Amino acid sequence: MANDQIFVGLEIGTTKICVIVSEGRSDGTISILGVGETPSRGVRKGEIVDLATVTECVREAILDAEDKTNVEIGNVWVAISGAHLRSFNNRGTLVLPEERQIEPEDLEKVETNAKEVALPPPNIFLHTILQAYHVDGNRNVIDPLTSEGAMLEADFHIVHGIKTRIHNTLRCIESLKLGIEDVVLSSLASAQVVLNQDQKNYGALMIDIGGGTTDYIVYIDGAVKHSGVLAVGGDHITSDISVGLRLPIARAELLKIQEGSAADPSSGEGGTISLQNDPGFMGCEIDRFSLDTIIHLRVREIFELIRNDIESTGEGMLGLIRGVMITGGCSRLRGIASVAEDVLELPVELTRARNVGGATQIFENPQYSTAIGLTKYAKVITKNSTPESMMDRLTASIGDLFRRRSR
Amino acid sequence: MNKTQPSRLIVGIGNAGVSVLDLLSVENPGMRDLLVVNNDTESLSASIVADRLIVPEGDLGDGFLSIDDEFGSSISGASAVLLCGGLGGETASFLLPALAIRSKSAGLPTLACVGMPFSFEGKQKRDLALEALEKLRAVCDGVVVINNDQLSGGTPSSSAVGEAFQLSDRTLIASLLAMRGMLATSGPVKITRSDLHAVLGVPGSVTHFGFGSSHGSNRLHEALERALKSPLLSLPGKGQALREAKMVLLFFRAPKDLSFSEVQLAVAEIERIAGERCLIKVGVQSEGSPESPLELFITASSGGSVQIVAKSNEPKPFSLTATETRRGSQQSIPVAAKADKPLKKSSAKQMQGTLDLESYQRGRFDKSEPTIIGGEDLDVPTFLRKGIKITTPARH
Repeated sequence: MANDQIFVGLEIGTTKICVIVSEGRSDGTISILGVGETPSRGVRKGEIVDLATVTECVREAILDAEDKTNVEIGNVWVAISGAHLRSFNNRGTLVLPEERQIEPEDLEKVETNAKEVALPPPNIFLHTILQAYHVDGNRNVIDPLTSEGAMLEADFHIVHGIKTRIHNTLRCIESLKLGIEDVVLSSLASAQVVLNQDQKNYGALMIDIGGGTTDYIVYIDGAVKHSGVLAVGGDHITSDISVGLRLPIARAELLKIQEGSAADPSSGEGGTISLQNDPGFMGCEIDRFSLDTIIHLRVREIFELIRNDIESTGEGMLGLIRGVMITGGCSRLRGIASVAEDVLELPVELTRARNVGGATQIFENPQYSTAIGLTKYAKVITKNSTPESMMDRLTASIGDLFRRRSR
Repeated sequence: MNKTQPSRLIVGIGNAGVSVLDLLSVENPGMRDLLVVNNDTESLSASIVADRLIVPEGDLGDGFLSIDDEFGSSISGASAVLLCGGLGGETASFLLPALAIRSKSAGLPTLACVGMPFSFEGKQKRDLALEALEKLRAVCDGVVVINNDQLSGGTPSSSAVGEAFQLSDRTLIASLLAMRGMLATSGPVKITRSDLHAVLGVPGSVTHFGFGSSHGSNRLHEALERALKSPLLSLPGKGQALREAKMVLLFFRAPKDLSFSEVQLAVAEIERIAGERCLIKVGVQSEGSPESPLELFITASSGGSVQIVAKSNEPKPFSLTATETRRGSQQSIPVAAKADKPLKKSSAKQMQGTLDLESYQRGRFDKSEPTIIGGEDLDVPTFLRKGIKITTPARH
């Protein structure tokens, strides 16, 4: 790219493939120049199942973005999701030969130590996200390079996934002769623009409910404490409606968008919804209570699974002082906030990308949070990295696999 | 005969079928729901399987009619029927399709695991086997074919003939156990009838079958390696048949401590060999203590035109009609003469097909890798899993 401050985020989602082109500003924010978009085919539950079809869809979205922004796209930042992605927290420890000032190499070694964990054989590291440094038992040292000590410890949130599935995304982009700047966990990308620093510091849960997956991430004390991917999303709600009310998928999708509500059906208005005849479809009267029951049960279950997962880490929900931010295309479902509040027992806000300039209609739509977040992530990473350390970071993220394919 | 209420009844037909079920009984003393059918009284009297049906010697068509009632009552409590035998012999080649029709007419899921004759057994036997196989495929929900020639290719040529037959029997047993497990309702990850039919019921396709088992910390790798090296999958090279497969059923019969990562690892390996375009269906039957072996069964289908039956209940061609003619002796099953028998009445009914509720429940995720959390398949609607009744819409 001619301009080093132009960032391109690519999200290969289950319902849409989206390319956001943003420009980095000197104040650290980003301004959206445009969006390229195409309906997604060949993606199930956030994972590529038909590489050739997906590649063609990505090509269309890239061309669309180039047309709309007049930017020639050469490199992209890519979001990744899917149930194969797992995470855990681990502490690396480095005992220094003598008490001395901590050096940059020590930080690298302690990170390497933290990653010395036996992953399942098909998995590779995707992210090693720093949580906190501790020097000689002094907890949460902000800048260890200014400290002296004999023992350096560091807590990391480690994200890993199945190599072949990550590989699929890389192959798709590689076949289009595009360079890959980095592969980023979807929830980590979304959180860049959905959560502000105050929320990250005081504790917040961000939930991005998309078509095929629900991605979530927990921030406490300014660091990622937990992340997860649930391979359940808006498509499941549509499928449930289709099965329960015996409707074609397209009809069920339309009904969900136009009439659906996730709120407790017992407090609903009741009545019926009339679906008109169409060629190949005999019209019918839908019981609104039944529709709302189907949606409510699915949405409630999604939040219950997230709560159970977070509680299983031992962190609990108490540390989430700033509550829950819900984004993603499915966050537009009526009544979803009340269900989330009921299950998670925390204040809930429906939100979208913030602190972003440019085309309003783009960043105000919650379904673009991940792709916009990618460009913000790119801006942050680029700002904090020298060319050398950038390469080191890339190497650390997905190792040889990425190094071989990115350039 | 002992009229218990069996489930997933395994029926061994002909001398090979009796031999296979005897071996199965010896190795699994507690296993019930076995039935042997033969017209060789000597073979039946020597069998250790308790439930037996003797087909009178002479005309096989008359013989079939004489056991029709008894066979009907044997399968009356079954949830599914698995037929087994060696094709090519007159008895099995005639009775296997006939009993399959009888079972299907009773509305039962019916699968068959059959062995094809060795080439040294002669062309006539092979032709008879192929004809019977064609009929079986037209009737059954799925047919696993053990090609004995290919199987013997995996053993040294100097092997005793007896060893080759023993290997054939053992492979048939493994395929029976795999099918039986796949039909189990215990889960936690089920293979549906439509999955079975999509892989095993494709006209013109070739079925490849492999299995392996192992204990210990490296059990998955060892079991997978053995399965991939099974002669029916491996020739001419490791997992070669998988490379041409359009669909694969991967079934685990495993102790309760089978981990998600073990399943993932096996799927990833199959996916790597078979390619991304191959549709892989996974089933897990998790039971028994951690000391039990992990057993892995791979059934692959290549060639033919793969049909996904879950979405459309297209009737299958039904080649065995009221009068069934057998090659050579021109014996026939005089079905039409027995107007009161369900065999005749229900053959037309079977053409309608039945709604596969299990597939239907997974909606648009019917062909997707299941999302299992806490033992529940999250692709199945929440209201169904919670047993909540939904009012169906009133059509205009």
